Amino acid sequence: MTEQMGFLFNAERCVGCKSCEMACKNENSTPANVNWRRVSSLSTGNNLSISCNHCESPECFRVCPQRAYVKRRDGIVMININRCDGCMTCVSACPYKAPQFDLEKQKASKCTFCLPRREVGLLPACVSACHTGALSVINTDQPPKNTVPTIEGFPDIRLTKPSIRFRPVKEKLRYWVSSKE
Amino acid sequence: MLSDVKVFKNVCPRNCYNTCAMLSYVVDGKLIKVEGDPSHGYCQGRLCGKGYAYTRYVYSPKRLRYPLKQYPRGSGNWVRITWEEAFNLISAKLLELNHRYGSNRSLAYNKCSGNVGILHYATEGMFNSFGSHTKLRGNPCMSAGMDAVEYSSGEGRSPDPEAMTNSKLIVIWGANPAWTAVHQLNFINQARDKGAVLVVIDPVYTATAATADHYIQVRPGTDGLLALGIAKVLVEEGRYDSSFVKEHVVGWESFYKYLQEKVSLEEVQRLTGVAENVLQLLADLYSQNDPATNWCGYGLQRHQNGGQNVRAIYTLSALTGNVGKIGGDFYYFHPSTDFFPMNLLNLQGPDDGQVSRALDINNYPSQALSLVDPPMKFLWIAARNPLSQDQEVQDWTRLLKELEMVVTVDLFMTKTAEASDIVLPATSHFEDFDINVSYWHHWLALNQKAIEPYYEAKSDLEIAKELTRRLNELQPGFSNFPSERTAEEWIESEFTSEILRLYGLSSWRDLEEVPAKLQFGNNPWLDLNFKTNTGKFEIFSKNAKDDKLPALPRFWAESSDLSFPLRMLTPQNITSIHSQNWALEWIGSDKRGNVVTLNPQDAVQRKVEDGDLVRIYNAQGSVTRKARLNPEVLQGMVIIYQGGKEPVNSLLSGLSADMGKKHSGSEGAALYNAFVEVEKIVRSQI
Repeated sequence: MTEQMGFLFNAERCVGCKSCEMACKNENSTPANVNWRRVSSLSTGNNLSISCNHCESPECFRVCPQRAYVKRRDGIVMININRCDGCMTCVSACPYKAPQFDLEKQKASKCTFCLPRREVGLLPACVSACHTGALSVINTDQPPKNTVPTIEGFPDIRLTKPSIRFRPVKEKLRYWVSSKE
Repeated sequence: MLSDVKVFKNVCPRNCYNTCAMLSYVVDGKLIKVEGDPSHGYCQGRLCGKGYAYTRYVYSPKRLRYPLKQYPRGSGNWVRITWEEAFNLISAKLLELNHRYGSNRSLAYNKCSGNVGILHYATEGMFNSFGSHTKLRGNPCMSAGMDAVEYSSGEGRSPDPEAMTNSKLIVIWGANPAWTAVHQLNFINQARDKGAVLVVIDPVYTATAATADHYIQVRPGTDGLLALGIAKVLVEEGRYDSSFVKEHVVGWESFYKYLQEKVSLEEVQRLTGVAENVLQLLADLYSQNDPATNWCGYGLQRHQNGGQNVRAIYTLSALTGNVGKIGGDFYYFHPSTDFFPMNLLNLQGPDDGQVSRALDINNYPSQALSLVDPPMKFLWIAARNPLSQDQEVQDWTRLLKELEMVVTVDLFMTKTAEASDIVLPATSHFEDFDINVSYWHHWLALNQKAIEPYYEAKSDLEIAKELTRRLNELQPGFSNFPSERTAEEWIESEFTSEILRLYGLSSWRDLEEVPAKLQFGNNPWLDLNFKTNTGKFEIFSKNAKDDKLPALPRFWAESSDLSFPLRMLTPQNITSIHSQNWALEWIGSDKRGNVVTLNPQDAVQRKVEDGDLVRIYNAQGSVTRKARLNPEVLQGMVIIYQGGKEPVNSLLSGLSADMGKKHSGSEGAALYNAFVEVEKIVRSQI
């Protein structure tokens, strides 16, 4: 049985509270300008929480001149910081802005799927921090039912085959005040 | 290396619904990260985005390290002084004023919610220990609604919010938990997973509204009228709980008559902006879902008719028979500190034969400026930033100029600290002991000392101890503050046998292991034994009538200001709690921070385009923001988030809400009864 660790993002449940993004920074002590996970508002009115998608065909891995990237047996993509020379090729190649350039260290860094937490049986910090169950960990080789490969507002998935699945947003009813009294 | 990690228990002491229990990871005396405490049944191991950024609070480069003094006041000529110098300067002034006026009534404090830990009432305790002085009364946040709840059920108690998992219908009136109470979404979603419907009624299309099954936009300050409209539909169609009303309600006949004769559905639609079919939909949802819960936020009572808004919504819970029902009921505010002795707040000072006086927190500077015999001369500000967050900002500026000495205790050089003579650096909650309860959930948790104070920072309690000691050295008997008593001894003193029983504890030390939950009264009206004079739910309140208020939850339209046609709402931003914005360094100064949002039609009329720099002004003042156009914003309304470099509060009206005296000693603040005009700034004006 193959394994590809990945995320399930339930767009229906995400309220954009940024707990995942901040929990990631708190856990990994990333500097102010380095956000391994980022929450943004989509034009559709929904939110997107996105980190490294540990792609099946990682573009970072392909383009890195220093061969600093490895793809592990569990599908997690890791960067060997010692090999990185800060050329930023991966930073511009990744469709999801996963490798982030650390100005202090002059190197790229990115989501490790919280490997140290995983080794002691804990979920990634972002998933643990999610209040609404919008983020969870899945094996994308066996995607859960009623999930889709992408949603509106997510970058093109054809290039790298990202290890993420989505639960789409249901339609909701809105009643606006139509005009001035 | 991991073996060197020490884990401590802390509690987030911000003025927030969730009062989260945290675990703090400390290496070599330094806080390296925080987590939610998984043993806390409400927070369940999670923090909000701001909470996860707490290392940025403790180690912010902007944090104050030493006592500072400036001369002249407001000049920015700050000089570092020692604590001894600070205490000597302050003591000399206090004693001189005491001798000049023959009492301490020229001394005043202004302290609020910067840290709501129980030991932070040391400031009030310290002033009590001086004898008679000038106190602070009232509450800017929730007092109008609290009185509304008390008039109806006799006592302001809120049920256990964890019980919302049992709801079939959850109606959130004017609250945005996605930004301000994110842990509640866990319980709401559990109910939704079982089929519950979530409705959000709010003038603002909030992040919470965006997730709701039904979002219903309503004009600001008309929520109560909408509730009365729903009530009228339910009553006319006979879809209310007549047996509940018969057995547990007082004043049904007069309320029925009021609905019949005075509430017209056409007027409801016209004033609230909610269409007839939506009114019908709401009536259907209330009558078809059992239990149905109403969560009433604080925004809708920050109006001149705020208390009446809350009474009308609470009445809706009663006539649908939801009051007292698990998963139904009415949520507003749970006054957990009322259970505790609050020994610091209630410290009995020496009898100097004179009586303390008190200033209303919502009109503080204007009242302070008018004091005579003696005038107010000295002000101590702690856990508060009135120049950003209070009403009457202009009067505040005048008051701060006129006083003889202003001392501010804070972690940061706030707007208010900048206008003080002496600034004393305060500890964060990681640096001293405390205990914390929530005004929402029913848990109690211990806050341990995880790290040493940052540089020379001291807690409010430590400052009270040391300053009173110095005062007594200079003038024996000046203060009766028990300055030898430690933080842990103050905590011990709060745990009476009654408190231990209520929380199922044998000692407060049990909290070193796990937080404790209130064991009694989690559903205050389960037995339908209301604490009113009649023992029933009072739709007709004689107490309200005696207090010169309408006995029934009637609607009346608040005043507006024709020369300034746009109503301004000032809700919380996701990045901050009021003006406390340490998380900005990580969250990033977001697009909303320095922005006024308005409806495109209002913008067109004013020739304002998206991204323009605009001046927002009224008779009180003027601030500058960048304009953002959003069709989701109601026409005739603008939104500016709280705080900012030019604090938006300089535009507030200073008007009062209709209620608040009963619970808090003075009326609530009608913060949302503010009207402004917006104009584009053309280059020559800059």
